[in-house]
Amino acid sequence: MAERVVAIINQKGGVGKTTTSTNLTHALAKSGKKVTVIDLDPQGHLAVSFGVINPNMSGIDEVMLGNTEIVQNLIPVRDNLQLIIAGPRLQEIEQLTEGGAKRGDLLRKALHENLDDQDFVFIDCPPSSGVLVANALFAADEILIPMASDFLALQGLSHMMGTIKRFETVLKKNYKLSLVMSRYASTRRISKDVLNTILQHFPEQVLTTVIRETALLAECPSFGKTILEYRPGSRSARDFRSLATDFLEHKVM
Amino acid sequence: MAEKEDENNLIGFDPLAWMNDESLATGGSTKNTETDSKNDVDNKQGLKVESNTFEDNITEEVLDVNIDSETVADPNNQQNEDIIDDSKITLDATLNIQNVAALYERLVNQLENQNQIEIDASAVVSIDTATLQLLIVLKQTAIKLHKEVIIDFPSDRFIEAAELLGLSEMLEVDQAAAGFF
Ligand SMILES: Nc1ncnc2c1ncn2[C@@H]1O[C@H](COP(=O)(O)OP(=O)(O)OP(=O)(O)O)[C@@H](O)[C@H]1O
Ligand SMILES: [Mg+2]
Repeated sequence: MAERVVAIINQKGGVGKTTTSTNLTHALAKSGKKVTVIDLDPQGHLAVSFGVINPNMSGIDEVMLGNTEIVQNLIPVRDNLQLIIAGPRLQEIEQLTEGGAKRGDLLRKALHENLDDQDFVFIDCPPSSGVLVANALFAADEILIPMASDFLALQGLSHMMGTIKRFETVLKKNYKLSLVMSRYASTRRISKDVLNTILQHFPEQVLTTVIRETALLAECPSFGKTILEYRPGSRSARDFRSLATDFLEHKVM
Repeated sequence: MAEKEDENNLIGFDPLAWMNDESLATGGSTKNTETDSKNDVDNKQGLKVESNTFEDNITEEVLDVNIDSETVADPNNQQNEDIIDDSKITLDATLNIQNVAALYERLVNQLENQNQIEIDASAVVSIDTATLQLLIVLKQTAIKLHKEVIIDFPSDRFIEAAELLGLSEMLEVDQAAAGFF
């Protein structure tokens, strides 16, 4: 197993999970770390964000279903960075209702004794709290929660924490948990209040660098490029490079 | 849910306030490494507190271990005290987060009035972690009160779910117990 298995998770949609998964992993890979990132969302947006569009390939779906090994599904997408796509059958796993009691454990089993040479495995989770997310929580020892800076995101975070606490209790785990402000609307006044509220509850758990809302970040997925390729000199590219440093050195607010 | 005093604050109420009320502390660095629901039960008022927590915060189904996520027919009309008086409770076939608050209230009331509760789990075809956790809390509460909670005739699915989560021992259900049924 890789040194650190990190689930990028938030059951609220559109908060920046995939954007963080794409750009943070690329920044880490560029800094020399060996990174594998798994697209655990049947929507398959992570693969698209890296410019991988091939619906006929299998991915983590067949791995979890036990039909193939994880090492056979690694796609090298950038230097030091490999991707495992969602695959067309991932949605089936989310909806699987028979098939025995072991469903929560599929991903952890698949990762077991695999990817030993990797510094990090990241898991880009879907915006839900079903079987797929359960699998991510079983497999991960770290959680990174991307957050938007609006009120409903705060409400969503409350739900999320309820879920995480239940998993901690049941799995007898204590996750290393951090948050990143991944869609920070710096022009809105409420953003600061949202951030302050989060800081009250998560002292020393919010990564120092705030990823601001920018047009460029919304543009780059359609070109299959990370921000570090699309506009390497931009403020957003700097944000993600500095977020990678925060992540490695645990720099928090 | 504390109202903010600060006139300038744009957050009307803080949805995360419950995190401070919990004996289970925030996700980073705390004592819930220990065992399951021990912490839940450690404080004496744990019962009422927990029942709020369940109701307010755990409103969707997660970690649905071997279970389908359909809702069950009758959870809500069980909420009031007037239903309970026999010491035997039969669990519904499908147990999930939607009805965990109601079930919890019912079981706690029962435990207050009785020295022993028997829970018939033979009909269970689907149970989620929230419900399993509830049963753990209940069992540990009972021990503190020198009372007893017995889970009778656990179905295979019940046992499977408990085993998967490593809870079968705490719940005192195992294959042997199932054999009777
Ligand atoms: N900081 C940002 N600035 C501008 N746009 C952003 C930013 N972060 C994310 N976006 C855009 O917002 C949309 C949603 O982001 P993203 O897909 O990363 O969220 P998600 O949490 O993965 O969504 P889902 O829950 O659907 O998986 C995308 O179009 C993305 O390009
Ligand atoms: Mg996404």
